[in-house]
Amino acid sequence: MTYAFAAPLITFFEYSFYRFRRGRLEQVFTLDTYSRFLFDSYYHVVIYDTLRMATIVTLLSLAIGYPLAYALYRINRPAIQRWLALLIFSPILVSVVVRSYGWIVLLSDQGPVNWLLLRFGVLAEPATLVFNLFGVVISLTHVFLPFVVFPIFSSLTRLDPALKEAAEDLGANWWTTFRRVTFPLSLPGVVAGAQIAFTLALGAFVTPAMLGGGRVLVLPLQVYNATTDINWPVAAVGGMALLVISMVAVAAFNRLLKYSEAR
Amino acid sequence: MAVVNRSREIPPLRYVALGVFTVAASLFIIAPLAVVVLNSFNNVAYNVFPPEELSTRWYVNLFSQDVFYAAAGRSIVLAALSTGIALVIGIMAAYALVRYKLPAPDLIKASLLSPIVLPKIVLGVALFMFFVRIRMLDNYSSLLVTHVLVILPFVIAMVSASLANFDWTLQEAAMDLGAGPIRTFIRVILPQISLSVGISAVFAFITSFDQVETTIFMVRTGSNTLPVEMFLYLQKWQDPTIAALSTLLILFAIALVMLISLMLRGRRLPFLPQRPGEDTQ
Repeated sequence: MTYAFAAPLITFFEYSFYRFRRGRLEQVFTLDTYSRFLFDSYYHVVIYDTLRMATIVTLLSLAIGYPLAYALYRINRPAIQRWLALLIFSPILVSVVVRSYGWIVLLSDQGPVNWLLLRFGVLAEPATLVFNLFGVVISLTHVFLPFVVFPIFSSLTRLDPALKEAAEDLGANWWTTFRRVTFPLSLPGVVAGAQIAFTLALGAFVTPAMLGGGRVLVLPLQVYNATTDINWPVAAVGGMALLVISMVAVAAFNRLLKYSEAR
Repeated sequence: MAVVNRSREIPPLRYVALGVFTVAASLFIIAPLAVVVLNSFNNVAYNVFPPEELSTRWYVNLFSQDVFYAAAGRSIVLAALSTGIALVIGIMAAYALVRYKLPAPDLIKASLLSPIVLPKIVLGVALFMFFVRIRMLDNYSSLLVTHVLVILPFVIAMVSASLANFDWTLQEAAMDLGAGPIRTFIRVILPQISLSVGISAVFAFITSFDQVETTIFMVRTGSNTLPVEMFLYLQKWQDPTIAALSTLLILFAIALVMLISLMLRGRRLPFLPQRPGEDTQ
């Protein structure tokens, strides 16, 4: 089992030390591909765009996911709570290709969102909402929302209600109670959700490929393009970069998680 | 519950705001799926809202395209096979993880669960290069191995979580009463973890059915799985044939939701946290 993962990754690692010249692969040990990757400003832009996209998606997912998780936690009718949970969860069951296609239709120039904006006079002419970073961010947020809502919800349900009552009995109003008691105690859920959203956003391929319109060139797309161009060393180096960034992100979030739990 | 009752007496403007937000967020979740269904009945070949005229011509077009039938069939067979294999391996691995003292358990656990954080495209390209190297690329088993690898971590994580809550004295009781190990497993342990196994099976099936990044390099024209076929089709055309197909897939997902809610009826969600004080781990 471990071998099944390790062997392909070792092959991958090996290819990252080869180079690709004049349309063919040269199987000699070299750091050429790495040094080109590290010092070429083109790849700097790719890495920067990847990190920026993942950060925006994570923040937006949290901004929508936290209130939603809180609402799910506060609804005191089990039937409604169950249906809302099912509703939030249900997009996971639909193929990511279908969901991304849905966003293309929704955000297209003659799509419903532009129709509404024009109808109510918000805009004079259709806005370009898709085939750019905006479309990718919105669609990825939609895809990752359940992964953010459920960890937050689960850390909220773990809260001891007595703490809140104590805060209220001591004269704190709801905002102070939320800010000083509920929110700090739900931070582990927030960090866990952010970790999932960020790492998934780093590795997202289908949505940037479909909704980016070639303008959102993130690392997974670069790896894909290099592989189809049979430039395997560049694909391998790009993939290694993605892997390292993901691992650093996971480690950083784990540290943050420990810190948030210690409070 | 006193908190809830007290907050009900106050005119809760913030709850109204939260309610409005929840409705808006629900719309946000539903909208891209609803618009696909609507667009599948659109008469024209481009995306326009509101649709000028409704028609079912894209469904007619869809049903005349054999390529989607074949791809759907391949995807279902592949997902079913890899789910079956992953369940057998996953249950055994989870059992070993929970029940036996293995050397370096954290390391084993980490390596079993690592594919969850591994970017899918990296796994896909790495496996592709590996299969090319060992000359197994045009082999069905390479596809199967890939899918089992992708879904196995989910199965292991869910089943071992549920086994961790299992009362092992039941197993000892069954063995003391003369049941063999296999009989004990099937009659005593399996019924207790059946919910987790069922949910992880549904998950594994969906995840396998939804693979694009890991599969796209392993398949050729004429042997594509359904999501890859749709992905490649959408790179070339944008007509609502895909909307018609997507509508069918959404109906399939709704059927799955029904199945899950039937499975969960009257049972406690296994992934919901235990209440404080009742922790068994």
